[in-house]
Parts: sequence; C-alpha cells; structure tokens
Amino acid sequence: MNLKTAKIISLLITMTGAIVLYQGATFSWLGDQQGYEPQQPIAFSHKLHAGDNQIACLYCHSSADKSRVAGIPAASVCMNCHSQIKKDSVEIQKIAQSISDNRPIEWVRVHDLPDHAVFNHSRHVTAGLKCQQCHGPVETMERVYQFDSQFMGTCVSCHRTHREVTLDESGKPLITSESTAKKLMASTDCSVCHH
Amino acid sequence: MNGEKLWKIIQHQDADDNRREMPRAALSRRTFIELIGFSAASLILSSCRPPQQKIIPFVHQPVEMTPGLANWYASTCGGCSSACGALVKVRDGRPIKLEGNPEHPLSNGGLCAIAHAMVFNLYDSERLRQPLVGSKPSTWNEVDAQITGKLDAIKKSGGKVRVLTSTIVSPTSREIIARFLSQFADGRHIIYEAVSNAAIRQSHLRTHKTATSPVYNFEKAKLVISFGADFLGAQGSSVQSAKEYARARNLRDESREMLRHVQFESRMSLTGSNADARYRVSPQEEIDALLLLARLVAEKKGSAAPAAIQSFDPPRLGARLREAIAAIAGEIVKHTGKSIILSGSNDSDVQAVVNFINHLAGNYGNTLHLDITSSPEGSGQSGDAEMVRLVEEMKQGQIAALLIFSANPVYDYFNRDELTSALARVPLKISFNSHTDETTALADFTCPHPHFLETWDDAQPSPRVFSLNQPTIAPLFETRPYQESLLLWSGERRAYYDVLRDNWKARLFPLQKKWATFDEFWDQSLHDGVFVAETVTTVEPAFIVDEVGRAAEALKSRNAEGLSLILYEKISMRDGRHASNPWLQEMPDPITKVTWDNYATVSPGLARELQLEEGRVIRLSNASASIEIPVFIQPGQDDSSVAVALGYGRTKAGRGGSAVGVNVYPFVRFENGTFQYTSGVRIEKTANKIELAMTQRHATLDGRPIVREITLADYIEGRIDEGQSHTSEPRSIWKDHPYGDHKWAMVVDLNSCIGCSACLLSCQAENNVPVVGREEVLRQREMHWIRLDRYYKGDDENTAVVYQPVMCFQCDNASCESVCPVLATVHSSEGLNMQVYNRCVGTRYCANNCAYKVRRFNWFEYPHTDPTANLALNPDVTVRTRGVMEKCTFCIQRIEEVKILARNEGREIRDKEIQTACQQSCPTQAIFFGDMADAESRVNKLKHDERDYILLEELNLRPQISYLAKVRNSPREEA
Repeated sequence: MNLKTAKIISLLITMTGAIVLYQGATFSWLGDQQGYEPQQPIAFSHKLHAGDNQIACLYCHSSADKSRVAGIPAASVCMNCHSQIKKDSVEIQKIAQSISDNRPIEWVRVHDLPDHAVFNHSRHVTAGLKCQQCHGPVETMERVYQFDSQFMGTCVSCHRTHREVTLDESGKPLITSESTAKKLMASTDCSVCHH
Repeated sequence: MNGEKLWKIIQHQDADDNRREMPRAALSRRTFIELIGFSAASLILSSCRPPQQKIIPFVHQPVEMTPGLANWYASTCGGCSSACGALVKVRDGRPIKLEGNPEHPLSNGGLCAIAHAMVFNLYDSERLRQPLVGSKPSTWNEVDAQITGKLDAIKKSGGKVRVLTSTIVSPTSREIIARFLSQFADGRHIIYEAVSNAAIRQSHLRTHKTATSPVYNFEKAKLVISFGADFLGAQGSSVQSAKEYARARNLRDESREMLRHVQFESRMSLTGSNADARYRVSPQEEIDALLLLARLVAEKKGSAAPAAIQSFDPPRLGARLREAIAAIAGEIVKHTGKSIILSGSNDSDVQAVVNFINHLAGNYGNTLHLDITSSPEGSGQSGDAEMVRLVEEMKQGQIAALLIFSANPVYDYFNRDELTSALARVPLKISFNSHTDETTALADFTCPHPHFLETWDDAQPSPRVFSLNQPTIAPLFETRPYQESLLLWSGERRAYYDVLRDNWKARLFPLQKKWATFDEFWDQSLHDGVFVAETVTTVEPAFIVDEVGRAAEALKSRNAEGLSLILYEKISMRDGRHASNPWLQEMPDPITKVTWDNYATVSPGLARELQLEEGRVIRLSNASASIEIPVFIQPGQDDSSVAVALGYGRTKAGRGGSAVGVNVYPFVRFENGTFQYTSGVRIEKTANKIELAMTQRHATLDGRPIVREITLADYIEGRIDEGQSHTSEPRSIWKDHPYGDHKWAMVVDLNSCIGCSACLLSCQAENNVPVVGREEVLRQREMHWIRLDRYYKGDDENTAVVYQPVMCFQCDNASCESVCPVLATVHSSEGLNMQVYNRCVGTRYCANNCAYKVRRFNWFEYPHTDPTANLALNPDVTVRTRGVMEKCTFCIQRIEEVKILARNEGREIRDKEIQTACQQSCPTQAIFFGDMADAESRVNKLKHDERDYILLEELNLRPQISYLAKVRNSPREEA
C-alpha cells in the first residue's frame, strides 16, 4: 500500500468512526467496559456454583481477604470437587486436560482497572464489604459480565460516605456512616489508590 | 562554617545554547496533519473491540505463593566477593528487589549500590541463553560430549589444566574446583582479581607468616589512619566497614564520643571525603608520611624499630605534614589497641610497614584480627604472580585447557596483547561467563552460569560466617551452574544443591551444638540465610620485625619523579564486570557527579599550570600505554598526580556498557610480586573537548548554610547553632493542613551519610525509575528521585566534602501544590505531597516552583519494550508515561501496604514498621522514617535532637524532612 492509499483509507475510517461514535446510543467514554461479557474458555457458571450451590466466593477466590488481588483459582482447585462430580462433562474434561498437559487455563479478564489505579481486595473484604457491592449479582450470572462502570466515581462515593466502620455484636465490621467506632477510615487521599 | 561558603562546582559552565528540549525532526506542517490522520484512524480501529486481557492462574498453585503478595527469601548478594546478606523480594514468582538482611552479622541489613542494581542483571536479555560452541548456539549434551572427550584426552596425555576465576567466596565451590582439578596430572586453580589486594596477604605472610587479610573491626576503633585506602568505597567489604564506621561515629542517643578518621591521599576518594582531617599528599609523600609515622610511633612507644625506619628523615615532607604526623603518632599511642592503620596500596612493602605500625599500636587482636584458621590453601586467594606465571605458561604452549569463570582477563589484564596471543596457544578454552564478554568471545566453549538469584551457592565472607544463597526464580535461560558442569566433567552427575548440602553436613553442622539433626540446622540456616559458627579458635601469630626493615629499605630507595597516574575503582563500576548495567552506568559518582564516563581528575593547580579546562581531552602516555581522556578538575587532588577510574572502556559489554569511557588497565604494572596501580605518565593537551554528563551543575546554592557542620568540641560544649539558623518566626499565607492519624516524616543524619549512593539505586529499583542515557543526562534530565548533593569546603588544596541526600521534602506549605493547574499534586491527610500521575498534564510549573528541585519530568516514553527487562518492574508502582511529572512520595506503596496489613489485623501501625527503600538498606543507617503523630516514634525523638535543622528554613515551606548536622571530629583550628 502506498502512502496515498493509506491516507485515503485512514480518512474514510476516521469519518465513519466519527459518525458512528457521534450517535448517542453507541457512544461510550474511553475505557468504559460496563456490561462487558466476554466468552470464556470454559463455560463456568457462577449462578450454578455461587448461586444454586452456595459455594462461598472465598473458596475459589482465596486470596481476596489476604492480597491485593482476589485470585483466579488454579485448575487443581476445580478438581477438588470435579474429580468426583460431573467427570464426563465436556467442560470439566477441558480442566482435566489442562491438568494432565500442565497447561494453565487462559481466562479472559472481565474487570480490569487501569494500570495507574491500585485496588486492594483484602482491605475491602476484611472491612466487611460484600463482593456484590462492586461485582454485582455474580451469583445470578451464567457468564460473568462487568456490572458496574468501575469508574473512580464509584470508589470515591463509597469512600466519602463510609468513612468509618463499626463492629457488630459478633465483632464483624458493619458498614455505617456514623463516626463513632473503631478507626478503619476509608481515605479519599489520591495516593491511596494512585501510586 | 559561620559564613563559610559551600561551593559545588568548579567553574560555572556557560549554558550550552545548542541544547534543545526536543531533538529537531524534519516535520512539515503537511506531514504533521497527515500523521494526525493516521493516528485518528488507528485510534478508531483499536477501539472497535475492547482490549482483551488474559488471567492465567496456576495449574497447581504452590502453597507458599499468594498472587499479589510478596515472599521474602534470605539469600546472599553475588554482586562482588563481599557476600553481604540479602533479602530477596519475590512478587508472583519474580525477584524484584534486594534488601539488606538485618540478621546478617557482617552487612547487618546494609547493601551497596551494586547489590540493588543486580536485579537488572537477572533480567538482562543480553545474557547468554544457551551454551555455545565457538560462537554458535548449541545444546548441553553436545557441549558436554565434546568437552569430556577433550578432557579425557588431556587426562591421558598429562597436560596442564588451569581453572581461572576471580575470588571464590564459596567453600563448596572451591572444593568442587579442587575435585575437578585432581583428575589431572597438573591441575591448578588460579585466582585473579583485576583490582587486586594481594599485597595485604603477602605482607602478612612476611610479617606474620600467614597469607591472610585481617578482619577489621571499626566499631571498636577510636582512631583510623588511612593512607589512600578507600575502605568505605570500593575496597574490601565496604558495607560492613561503613556500618561499623558509622556506628563508631554515631552521635544520636546522647552519644558524645566518635571515632576520628585521618586520611592521607592523592586523589579525592569517597573515604577521604568523609575524613575528619584529610591531608593532600603526592603518592611519594604518602609513602614518606607512612614511614615517618612508623618512626614516630616507635619512638613514642620506646620500641625497637628497624634501622631503615629509625634513621628515616623525609626531605620532601613539609612542616605542616610533619607536625600533623607527630600529633597523629601521639594519638595512636594514646589510643593503644584502639586504632586502625590502613593503606590502599597493593605493594607489600608499604603494607608491611602498615602492619608494623598496627603491631606497635597494639591493634592486632583488638581492632584487627588475623584468623589463621582460614588457611591460605583453603581461602581461595592466590597472588597476582600466579596470574602472570599462567600467562607465561600459556605463551609457551604448556596449558592444555583453561576454564574461566567470573574473570575477564582479555579486558582487564594489564598486558592484553601478550595475553591474547598466549590464549591463542591454549587448545581448549572454556568460559562459564554469563555474557559474551571480551574473554568469552575467544573461548572454544561457553557454558553460561546462571545469575546468582537463579542458583544455589554458599559463601564464607569471614572465617566464622557462612552465608547461603538460594534460587528465587527458575533459570530464565538454558544456563547451568559452573559447579554442576565441573562435577559432570569429574564424572559425577549431581545437582549442585546436593553437593552443597552434603558439604554443609560434613563441615558446618559439627561447628554448632544448637540443632540436633542436620535437617533442622539446614532449614534454620536457609531461613536465616546465614550461619555463624560457634567455635572457631583464633590464634594471633607472632610478629616478625625483620621483614619491615627490608620493606622500609626498599621503599626509601623508591623515588617517583614527575607526574603519577593513579588508577582506582569507582564505587559504581568497580573493576568493570558490571559495565553492562545501565543503572550503575548512570549512577553519578558521589564526588565528581559524572555519569556514563571515566575521566582524568586533575588538581585545580595543575589545571591552571597546563591551562586545562573541564572536558578538555588530554593524552596520558608512558612506555606501556597511551590514552586520550577528558579532564575533570578535582579540588583536593594532589598537584603531581592524575587519577583515572578502572572499569571503563569495555568493548563487549552489550548495548549499554560498550564504548563507555576509556580502558586504563594497560597502565597497571606488575612489580614486587603484585599488580601496582600507580605509574608515571606524561600528560599532553589535545585540541579536543568532550562534555561530561554531570548531574551536579543544577542549582548552586550560594553561601547559605545548606549543610550545617560543627566540630565535635563545639557540639560537646553545646555550641551548635551559631549563626546558622534562621531566627525570625515566618508567617504563612496558608492555613495549616488538618492531619489525621498519621503524619509521615523523615530525618537524615548527615553525620552518618557517607555518600555511598546505595539509597539512590534502592529507590531506582523500588520505584521503577528509568535510565535516560548519557545524552539526556547532559540535558539535565536524569530521573533519580534522590539527588545526593556534594559540597566542597575549604580551598582547592585543603578540601573537605559534605554530602546531603535530597529527595522530595513533602512540604506542608508546598510551593508545587499551589501552582498546579490540574490538581495533580495535592496534599494528603497524612502530610504527604501526592503526585497523581493520571492527572498530570506536564505543565512542569511544579518543578519550576520547587525550592528543592526534587521533581523529575518524563521527557520521553522511556523504553519498556524489552519483555525480559520489564520483569524487574515493581508491580506496586505505576510506570510513568511521557509528559508526566514524578518524584519521591516516601515510598507510598510501602506505607499503604503496611497500613492495609495493620488495619486488616485490627491494630495500630508499629513504629519502624514502615521502612522506605532508601532507609532500609542504608549501610550507615543515616535515614529515619516514621510517624510524627506518634509521640514515641524514633523520628519524633530525632526531630528534637539538638543537631536537627531544616534546609532553607527561611522559605517557610515546612518540609517533613530535616537533617541532623554533620559533626567533624577535628580540633577547632583545623575546621
């Protein structure tokens, strides 16, 4: 392709793009992935596992209360149950195959914060936040999609209103906006997330 | 000090008008608009589909690994032969940072700049990825088959086999080498250090009948007299020395005593720059001063001295030096058994006289120990003469096989041509080096050794201390430890790990009584990273005085006339083995502040005489070599000498390290059984001029008390502040910030800071600070978040030096915050001056308005295109893009990490729990960080120290960093 053709093609693309983007229905902010629901390599149903069978989130996402990242379970975690249950399913056999090949499953990332924002799962889980607060009704999702826009506004609105955390009778944190109890203050300093 | 001017640069350089902010590009208006069209099109195309990212979990997740959480492993730094204890931070399987191991008895939590830079070497994509036959990539099977065949033939023919290495601190490796060599009729292990200190061992063989280096204990000393020894810089275990030195000079916590340090030297060394009294002497005067000191100490002690010393009366020494030496002799006698005399010379005659003074002063057994249990055969140290003999043997075609590990003689042997032609006569040359360096390029086989973070090893840095090195990542490339190669070629197919364990079981396990089983002992040693033997008997050998007479006689007959060239090691580049590391190349020399180059330091007097200016290229020549090198004018340098750093001028050191500076190894002499690093030269001026990439020409802070300094006498009498502090109470136009639970602050003790620059590199590794290269440093765009300011005091001849690390001060009334138009730099509720990269649009107003000039701007998208090198990045710190301002934020990621940990555990943050990267591994513990909201915190107490002061206090910026004034232990008239 010579330079002239390239110029004409890029002009056409730019104009078409401008027309498409200008329509309100398809317009979205840069980086907005709300509703993003990619095809996953294995048709894993959160509805079945977390909803119908009531498996705790932390059983699979076991580092969510310890680490910055919640963690995607290793293939071996699936086989804790599936070495007995539904061994014949095509989807389960993909996992078994992954283990026998020693090749990890490549899940498609749904929730992806920009690289300049740091989110720590452990602080929020330990402070008593429900996973659904940010991730939506995952227990009803056949395939996971991004429930919230996860823009900074979501974080900050919560950090502004839930400045302090009180403990309930059993000693577990209880989300409240009353400024009475233990210091577990959510900060609105930029550097808390951006460093 | 009162009104005394601190000065920073020798001559104000005319601003170079040619320097442009951006490289000029031929770009017409039309092309520009076309390019915009292309980018708009590509933007739209790329937004058609959401960017898809993968999350790839483990198949079987290791038990000890939690994604996103760092594991720390105790190990040993392999950057040099000091073998400091290191803790390796491993995030998601990648080692990303080395920190000091506080439990290591020698380095005590300190690490030097080189150690921090070693992470870069691990992810260096120029490391060899597989074994080579000649220069062709091969496989291990192929290489092994060919080499064993050739070695078997040598076994039959009885040919000579030599293993050539630099100092091997690992006792197990030494044993493996010995085992390998025992297969051959004539096999020997030659240890070659390009920058050798063999003379210290050789002199002890002469005076104590044991070829060992003494172990120094600076902490016990009250007086250190150094004749050109750079013990805080590049000589010996500098981290350990610096640690003990700083402890002996600590004036915090009500201490009023400090070690006094006197230095006689020709060039301005890092050690000399920290001396309480520094005497500028010529190399010849240095020897005279040493002999005179020996005579005067012997006289004052009433001890017998050899005739050559008794009758010594140096004609060359001036009255001032003579008086000073007489006074020092008195001090040595006063502090019997509490002084250390050192010399940087690699001449065993000089070192023999040093031993004599140490002996007279009663220092053996007190401040320095000769441990004869580390027998010379076992210590893996051989003399320089063996290397010379090896070259001779090779030249005569006697050597059948040469195996080289961690040595690069083709670059750093003084007689390179002779060596290269000699190597050509060796039929089998095997290199274990990890890069295709100058020597490896000539090898028949290359069997690359992994990085020390990828392999097992041990180290014995001191007779009682055994350090373990454990792998923290699987080898990135097809490498194999040289120990395993040697074992294999000795007929043992074993993992080095097994041999190491067996060796520890046989040799070290019996040296302790605490653990009943070997497994427990091993696990504990592995956990600690170090094992200290309980029982080692040390015998102090008797002193033999005869040799001192012979040495003194020889020294008296030596008479260097004319100009001397002094070859030294820079603390960053050392002998040149890490030249391919751009972090070290870009680290400014603490004194000259030059990066990416070596140069000839010339005294202001000599520069005037020869009409040299900075950057003027001169030709230095003598019978053995001739080089052209730019001049750097160095106050405090002696007039009859020129000093040039070794370790530069590599030809095969990769993208970053090749063709940087000039190789001066050809000037090294072999004399009196050792390599000598001074030689006579002629100097000629040429017409060329080079601009040196210095980081110091910004900001000359005229005459203000930037670095406060007092004498010990004044300090003890409480005269601390005379005329230095700002008295009037400034008023602020800003309201005070309301603070919450924390207020982070820092104190830097200038009396402890020695300018070693370890903080700078630690910060670079922690905060993903990019390297910008020589051109950009010339444009004054280096990115280091810590600037280590150096100021001179006194005049060109009697020059004292002070250091001051300057990072972002996190001011309460920050001048940067008030000018940012987009609120990208704002104040946090914890007293930090936050920098929000994603808000920054790059106006650079903040940097212009910063009084301390600590902000750094990303002029370019600094390359992060090498996927291997990117593995070294700290995932907790954003990689900044072009057009963004950045600066120190007190390692905010570490603060947040500890805050989250403490809150998850439902407790308060403990004092000293948060350590910034610069503070953690500071070898002298000069940096303190903590919470001012905690009345009991260490930093809060230090802020109330009498020596505490604020830089540029009159500006009323109310910074969170303050300094503790430097104290010099010198009589007042000298100050």
